[in-house]
Amino acid sequence: MKTMSKLLTAAALTGALISTTTQADTLDIGVLLPSPIADVGWSHALNEGINAVKEKYGDGVTVNVVENIQEGPDADRIMNKMVGDGNDFLLLGSFGYMNGGLKLAKRNPQKSFIHASGYKTAANFSPFTAKYYEGAYLMGMAAAELTKTKKLGVVSAFAIPELISTINGFTLGARSIDPEITVDVIWINSWFDPAKAQDSAKALLAGGADVLFSNAQDTPSVVTVGEEGGAYVFNLNSSMKEYAPTKYLGVVKTDWAPFFVASVDAHLAGNFEGQNQWLGMTDDVVVVEDWSDDISADMKAKIAAVQADIVSGARHVYDGPLVNQAGEEVIAAGTRLEDGAILGIDWHVEGVNSPLPK
Amino acid sequence: MVFKLVKREHASQWMLLVTPLLAVLLSIVVSSLLLVILGKPVLLTMHSFFIAPFENFYSITEVFLKFGPLLLIAQALAVGFRAKVWNIGAEGQMIIGAICASAVPVYFVDSTSGWMLPAMALLGAIGGMAWAGIAAFLKTRFNANEILVTLMLSAIALQLLYYLLLGPWKDPMGFNFPQTVMFQDEALFAPLFSGVRLNTSIFIPIAFTIAVWLLMEKHFAGFKLEVGGQAPDAATYAGFSAKKAVWVSLLLAGFAAGIAGMSEVAGPIGQLQRSVTSGYGYAGIIVAYLGALHPIGIVFAAFFLAVLQIGGDVALVSADLPISAVQVFQGLLLIFYLSVYTLVNYRLQPARTEKTASQGVSS
Repeated sequence: MKTMSKLLTAAALTGALISTTTQADTLDIGVLLPSPIADVGWSHALNEGINAVKEKYGDGVTVNVVENIQEGPDADRIMNKMVGDGNDFLLLGSFGYMNGGLKLAKRNPQKSFIHASGYKTAANFSPFTAKYYEGAYLMGMAAAELTKTKKLGVVSAFAIPELISTINGFTLGARSIDPEITVDVIWINSWFDPAKAQDSAKALLAGGADVLFSNAQDTPSVVTVGEEGGAYVFNLNSSMKEYAPTKYLGVVKTDWAPFFVASVDAHLAGNFEGQNQWLGMTDDVVVVEDWSDDISADMKAKIAAVQADIVSGARHVYDGPLVNQAGEEVIAAGTRLEDGAILGIDWHVEGVNSPLPK
Repeated sequence: MVFKLVKREHASQWMLLVTPLLAVLLSIVVSSLLLVILGKPVLLTMHSFFIAPFENFYSITEVFLKFGPLLLIAQALAVGFRAKVWNIGAEGQMIIGAICASAVPVYFVDSTSGWMLPAMALLGAIGGMAWAGIAAFLKTRFNANEILVTLMLSAIALQLLYYLLLGPWKDPMGFNFPQTVMFQDEALFAPLFSGVRLNTSIFIPIAFTIAVWLLMEKHFAGFKLEVGGQAPDAATYAGFSAKKAVWVSLLLAGFAAGIAGMSEVAGPIGQLQRSVTSGYGYAGIIVAYLGALHPIGIVFAAFFLAVLQIGGDVALVSADLPISAVQVFQGLLLIFYLSVYTLVNYRLQPARTEKTASQGVSS
């Protein structure tokens, strides 16, 4: 009897030990974000994606989020600390974390990293970017119907390929409906500068634009100017409709959930592979919604048809013929610009008035 | 009732030593209350701030990585502040130093010369001094207020940095992102130990501290500098130059800030990018005053602030504190320190009329 109870105790103890080991197996995920999570914007959208991971794995993951960290030596230290604390999967939410993150990834080959908007890869380091231009193309179609002045305006952050390709998509979409439309761009060289963004939006309105595009601005600055100035306006990442209740054209939303969940799945399965992740409507990452009621049913049907073609692959925003600002044909009819070329694009299509900053 | 601060004739030496401890204690109490309201773990947070920075070798090296530029800039600023030259623009001088130093690896991308680093240090120092020299020139020639000039020059330095990064110095392979190429190893300080970011540049602030201490405490030149700034007429009468005090103070700060900027791009950053200063230029002002403008006090103050910043980073990650709570905690510490310091050195006296007040000062 005594031996029996001893055995039972031993069994119970072993059970306890096993269950603690399973608990120690929870995946710690470190998330570094460049701006406050807030109610809207870039960091908000990334955080929503991470929430989906939490939802799927429940107690199986612990997420440690550090928000509002500027790029630079301090960001590098915080990443290091995250890895040191035992986070095995890292989400680095800003382009500026690239070089520090890559060094860290090379020193820690067993950990997995996903990095927003960059272009460098390693075996355990995947940069990811959304094909915003797909959604912007559809917004361009809607804008073409609603504009009276045939002038569209863009307030844009940095002249990087991701944003250049979005402006091109917007322009191509608008001119597919009305080839007389032109687009003006103001580069403010900041993700987060409400005062400058508002001034630029007002300047665009004064120049005759009656549809505004807030390209990668993390605040509702441009959106509120649109509402006040009577111009339709749309933005990226997350809906800002509440800031422009009557003049909101729609949102090119990013839903990172499918990609984040898939990446964590791959890490846990041990087959995470570092590669350029270039995600669009087909991947359910780029989502277009909150359409304005002022868009006609006819146009909505046209947009839906184009959207279906993009998702099915029958059509691509960068299908030739494509003509650049100088009027030269860059891509001939029947061919299309490859993903790799879009990732490095440094030219505007015909119809964009403003020269690219050199 | 209006109060006036009157300097104590015999400030207690013992109290001066207790001041920092009292400040730390007060801010721990107040921030603990805040943490309880926020629902965050109090002990873990305190552990993050004061113990975690010393818990492993890597953290300790990171403390010294922050300590270096803080010390260098604060020592130089303090010399100026003692001479009543208010240089608020070390931030801008640091940016120009970083820019000038970066010119070497940007234009000699493939060079493996051993002269890279010395050339960068030289250019960084000259850049910082030239930037500060503008303020010195305007002050001595036109009596332009150096507080405004140095502050405004910092804004200009930042725009110059943005211009270079978006234009001529942009990494040609960098897809238009505003940053230069990554510098080659020859353009970087060697790490002191493998796997850490602390590098040989740490010896510069230490050597500079010794030099400043000798200048200000042991040498007649330091005295002349102080008198030249504090009492220009007396200085002229004694044959010291007030203008010289302005020039020396600003050039010294420009030199130190320029070298600090160079050490950042040739150290933990390894390239020129939009954020190169980590706020050291402004933090240096706080360190100078926390250290009571004394070379040895500044060593402790710089170390304390470095620990606080590393501890703050740990608290972000380990204690899950929002960054604003970290900043509030750091701000509380400084405010309490300055308040306690003031009350130890001054006493509050009711100031009923202008007359009694001025009598109070003269008594």
